[in-house]
Amino acid sequence: MKKYYVGIDSGSTMCKTILFDGKDITDCHRIKTGWNPLLSAEKSLKLLLERNKIGYEDVIVSTTGYGREAIEFAGFTYTEITCHALGALFLSSTVGALPAVGGVIDIGGQDSKIILIHDGKVVNFLMNDKCAAGTGRFLSIACDTLGIDLADIDQFADPNEGISINSMCAVFAESEIIGLLAAGTDRSQILTGVLQSIGNKIWQMTGKLMIDESKPFLMTGGLSCSRLLMDIIAQITGLHIITHEYAAWAGAVGACICAANTVGRTTSPPNKAIEPDTYE
Amino acid sequence: MNKETLPSQFESFAEARKQGFLAVKKLKEEGKKVAGLFCTYTPHEIFLAAKAVPVGICAFSDETIAAAEKVLPRNLCPLIKSSYGFAVTEKCPYMYFADLIVGETTCDGKKKMYELLGEIKNVHVMQLPQNQHDETAAELWYQEVLRLKAKVEAEFGITIKDEDIKNAIKIKNEERKLLQEFYELSKKCPPPMSGTEQLKVLYGSQFKFDPMAKNQELREAIDRVKHEAESGNLIPDTARRILITGCPLAGVTEKLVTAIEQSGGVVVAYENCIGIKPAERLVNELEEPYRAIADRYLQIGCSVMSPDKNRFDLLTQLVQEFKIDGVVEMTLQACHTYAVETTQIRTLMQKEKVPFISVETDYSTADTAQLKTRMAAFIEML
Repeated sequence: MKKYYVGIDSGSTMCKTILFDGKDITDCHRIKTGWNPLLSAEKSLKLLLERNKIGYEDVIVSTTGYGREAIEFAGFTYTEITCHALGALFLSSTVGALPAVGGVIDIGGQDSKIILIHDGKVVNFLMNDKCAAGTGRFLSIACDTLGIDLADIDQFADPNEGISINSMCAVFAESEIIGLLAAGTDRSQILTGVLQSIGNKIWQMTGKLMIDESKPFLMTGGLSCSRLLMDIIAQITGLHIITHEYAAWAGAVGACICAANTVGRTTSPPNKAIEPDTYE
Repeated sequence: MNKETLPSQFESFAEARKQGFLAVKKLKEEGKKVAGLFCTYTPHEIFLAAKAVPVGICAFSDETIAAAEKVLPRNLCPLIKSSYGFAVTEKCPYMYFADLIVGETTCDGKKKMYELLGEIKNVHVMQLPQNQHDETAAELWYQEVLRLKAKVEAEFGITIKDEDIKNAIKIKNEERKLLQEFYELSKKCPPPMSGTEQLKVLYGSQFKFDPMAKNQELREAIDRVKHEAESGNLIPDTARRILITGCPLAGVTEKLVTAIEQSGGVVVAYENCIGIKPAERLVNELEEPYRAIADRYLQIGCSVMSPDKNRFDLLTQLVQEFKIDGVVEMTLQACHTYAVETTQIRTLMQKEKVPFISVETDYSTADTAQLKTRMAAFIEML
């Protein structure tokens, strides 16, 4: 009987890994996905196993995210929609004070999405179309142009005043920001405007879903570490938004939960037979 | 879904499209006239009555889009760009051999493109009303059908006799009944064929040029699908039953069907221009033929109509009849009419309690992974 689950969320930007013992999250790791999703997944898995002195034969590996199909050693793969939803339910339940979440707002590197949950199941979801507006990539392009480190946005942005960014397209928004900088506009206010434009994008998506506003939404994805962005989204959408220390790992947590649920129903042996030694 | 052994009845139709080039060349050499048609609103009966060959020329490949963008704006529907591109590059055999091309004032992009196409091809544009439920619209469309008849007679140097048009109506109605019988096979749970297979016949049937032989082949295809279904289910009964609606779907956009059917779904119905819409209504054989033709064609549901009640009604009916688990709408990039109408379709499906997802795509394969994720997640949700 395997004792542990490893969930790997191989996103377009970051590869997030969770070690789960069937009850609790026991470790986590996060590295850049890089050009090869298989390689970053292997590295993360190896690190988690070594750090926790666990053998490959003791874990069930499941994957999600854009790179999921490339991670050929995984026993199970699930879409990030299902994983984020189940991950969010688990995370919100570990912080007992919260009511069950009504859904997830995930701002990933390549996608932003809203997932609605009812009775523990995904009932609807919406992802942005082929456009980087309102995604992590959009913010990262803007930060590059503004010369600000992505990790410092909460300290840098002006919490009171934002300059409206009108361009729908990330590339055009970059030109717009360059224009604003040339006109001598305050960088901290431009940054706030960028965060507000992400909030507006999310607000527009909520209009296409039947949202139960009485329930909190868990914000996931790498940008869930920004308290300011969370507040801006809450203010613009009118939703009660919460986060969690593992919110960036929600997809990986969900992959573990999905695998645990699947294993509970089937007896088929999961992981493909590879030895940890052959990882690199 | 494993598609290693495709039954030949599907392949015959898929092949028809590929072999169409030689077939149409042969027909031209035999002195037949070829008419290239865009939308489902063009009355095929007029061409059949004129002993001409009507063939669909809406294009479904990104091969010629770059050439089209030398003239057309980039932010335009890929179907329009691709079709125009095939005309300027002379890469489409049907467009190349067509003696006459017929379009209608459907969407803004198409009707403006027809003006440009008219500079290099022999184009006739029918004035399509944008309302289906008032007398002036019906009268305008009737006059347009008569004007098309006169145009065809003048271009091809023939006279369409009353018996010719009546006979054409009969043959075309027969084809519609056969197509209906064919796609309605998928009402069965599980369906006797995949959506990929169904589409092969629906799309390929446009490229079978002998109407009598086509009807005969459709009959055989139906009988063989039925026969094979008796010897066991080819589609697992766990497969989620999907209806596709929205913009015309064929060629490269079949990526959507693949994404659905690789994720545990099966497409059982196509509420599209290639699918149920061109087959679902018959021309009344008892009325004055041109009036009956006009009345039948004007009732086709499409987002160019305002309001588009017939599409909503048809969708409501199909989700029940085909026991649909989920509706997937495909809109093409920059197709404003379908994209705006999505809001109404979403509300309608919420009312019908049928899960709904709308995806926007184009003729590239760049979004294959994104489509796969969306479809897999949608089917996991059902």
